Amino acid sequence: MIRFTWLQFRMQAGVALAALCAFAVVLVVTGPHLASLYAASGITGCHGGTCATAASGFLSRVDATSPYTLMYTLGIGLILAAPVITGIFWGAPLIARELETGTCRLAWTQGITRTRWLVVKLALTGLAAMAVTEALSLMYAWWADPIARAIGHGGTISSIQFTGPFGLVAFATHGIAPLGYAAFAFTLGTATGALIRRAVPAMAVTLAIFAAVQVAVPLWVRPHLLPPDRTVVSGPSFFQAASMSVGTLTATTVPSRPGAWILASGPINAAGQPVTTAPAACVGPPPASGKGAPTNLGACMASRGIREAITYQPASRYWPFQWLETGIFLALALALAGCCFWRVGRRRT
Amino acid sequence: MIEFQLDEGSGVATYVQLVQQVHQALRVRMLEPGDQLPTAQQVVAKLAINPNTVHKAYRELEREGLVRARPGLGTFVIRPLSGTDAATQARFLAAMTDWLRSARLAGLDPDDIEAIYRTAFRACFAEGAA
Amino acid sequence: MMTAVIETSGLGKRYRRAWALRDCTLAIPAGRVVGLVGPNGAGKTTLLHLAVGLLAPTSGSIRVLGASPADGPAQLGRVGFVAQDTPVYARLSVAQHLRMGAWLNPNWDREIAESRIEQLGLDPRQRAGTLSGGQRAQLALTLAIAKKPECLILDEPVASLDPVARREFLRSLMETVAAQGLSVVLTSHLIADLERVCDYLVVLVASRVQVAGEVSELLSSHHRLSGARRDASSLPANQEVIEESHTDKQSTFLVRTGDPIHDPAWTVRPVTLDDLVIAYMSRPANPERTHRPRLEVTS
Repeated sequence: MIRFTWLQFRMQAGVALAALCAFAVVLVVTGPHLASLYAASGITGCHGGTCATAASGFLSRVDATSPYTLMYTLGIGLILAAPVITGIFWGAPLIARELETGTCRLAWTQGITRTRWLVVKLALTGLAAMAVTEALSLMYAWWADPIARAIGHGGTISSIQFTGPFGLVAFATHGIAPLGYAAFAFTLGTATGALIRRAVPAMAVTLAIFAAVQVAVPLWVRPHLLPPDRTVVSGPSFFQAASMSVGTLTATTVPSRPGAWILASGPINAAGQPVTTAPAACVGPPPASGKGAPTNLGACMASRGIREAITYQPASRYWPFQWLETGIFLALALALAGCCFWRVGRRRT
Repeated sequence: MIEFQLDEGSGVATYVQLVQQVHQALRVRMLEPGDQLPTAQQVVAKLAINPNTVHKAYRELEREGLVRARPGLGTFVIRPLSGTDAATQARFLAAMTDWLRSARLAGLDPDDIEAIYRTAFRACFAEGAA
Repeated sequence: MMTAVIETSGLGKRYRRAWALRDCTLAIPAGRVVGLVGPNGAGKTTLLHLAVGLLAPTSGSIRVLGASPADGPAQLGRVGFVAQDTPVYARLSVAQHLRMGAWLNPNWDREIAESRIEQLGLDPRQRAGTLSGGQRAQLALTLAIAKKPECLILDEPVASLDPVARREFLRSLMETVAAQGLSVVLTSHLIADLERVCDYLVVLVASRVQVAGEVSELLSSHHRLSGARRDASSLPANQEVIEESHTDKQSTFLVRTGDPIHDPAWTVRPVTLDDLVIAYMSRPANPERTHRPRLEVTS
């Protein structure tokens, strides 16, 4: 059965391999240059406050070099899309096509039981889907390593494109989370295929459900997996630094907690009540460079007793979150696989 | 070796047709004692019929004492069709001719004679319907 | 004493509201070529799918070659199946189908498979999706035969074949039966084909078994009686009327009886398999008629 599954899967595996190779080539061609930029930025061997500045300098240079920001974003997009692509093209037709074309009547009257047939097909193709997504993620992590380290040293940049591994969107593309997403998308595809019994509608439904999950989990599920930390930051230096967004008065990094994931932040007054806008007196003309806070903002806010309250998850919790989220998706994948076994069982008409 | 035919529309059972064809072949001396009958596989390859039908026909012939199956070798004719010496045949031919002549003189036409013959034949040999 | 190839007891299968098969009790002896006839939707495919384990019964039980269908690899290896419309993997070649057979079947005989393909003139590298209907049917039959089953179950294998392809298929099938001594169960609409190859018949109409038995027994126990006009109820109890037709002076009955017919008022004629099957298929559905004299052969 293993050899037969491979026979049926060969073509799709070839396409995936070609895509992986193309991706690898692009990364290998540009990776060393990125690494050399990092080496030249002086971050290695830095200490204390100079690290953040050096890192930010490196990030701005990367931002300025034309293909890198595009590659960074596209890379994340590809890793986010890979699970659903394998789910649609490998998962949905796995059972549905056999039911549609009637070849299940041939497959299930050979010399192996339906259980064995399904176990081998699900395991082989599912593991391949997980491997492809994880391979993309690992290759990309190798390439983006300099950027991740720079952010780790406290480097920031006003454009939100470089968010680091704990970012809302990027989290699913790092570590072991891609395995969970890939397993979930694949078994979602096979289960909808088994229930709907037609490949193309199953592909559409899988896409819809997975897209909804991919949006919902970072926004509404992940924040609640572990209780967050809270801190209140005061002092003129905070509001003065480029570590907050002036328009909305929300923090973009947590001081002395580089790489943290900010769930919510907002200014509060001395009594602890939220402040919706900066007092008019504090918001003077913007500085000549156009970036950063108005020159008197920090002192002004501090004199009024306005501080910033931040709810966040520290970077040290990154791996617990990875395990939790991956675990949840693997459990869902197992449940969906169980659903396939139930549906393929004798009751089908 | 004898080659069997199948007459599908005749209403006669297939195995009976095979038996009759062997009888016919024996009568005209196309088959002699010691000759081998085709194997079931050979008959089936030509006629696309059920091999059990062939076995049934050969068992019937064996029951009549005309053939014997030798395991692993085939089915062989062991004796010719009995009672076909020319004198006996001539005697019955003469009796039949006389009878037909008197039937015609009595006014029976060919269809009446046919009906009488078939009724008597059926009653005598009782094949098929009880 | 031969064991039964298919043995059912009160077997039934229901989908939502309708019963596809009901009260099916059969004991089909092994070593026969069994014809399963009936109009479309009568339950033939349902019965076959129950026999190969593609469906599970709603009521009653079924045993194939003495075991539960599809009970494990051993049982799956004893039964060869060709489904309706002979499904094959369109993108795989003929040779790849044979490799599938070798990988998935414990008793696969490679020589039988390859010599059959060669005899049939199929190109091993040709994709199964581009084969003609007759070639696909032969490929499917090869897959079923080469696994060396004890029993072959074929669902309308020749339905969409032209006469030449049909004859070839049946010839090929009968040669295999002669060589390997298998039991075969096949469904068909074409009674002429069944007459050539079947020695056991099951007639299924409106999800119920109407009659089942050895063909020779059925032919010798059914008669066409014609004579003066009379009512069906005036016939003796041991003669079951299957079909009747009347003119103002004459009545003709197709009856089934185990006893000889002595009444001289009747003209008795034998019944062909064709007439017999059509008579049973045209009988109006009568759900009370569940107990009929059984004429199963016990030899």
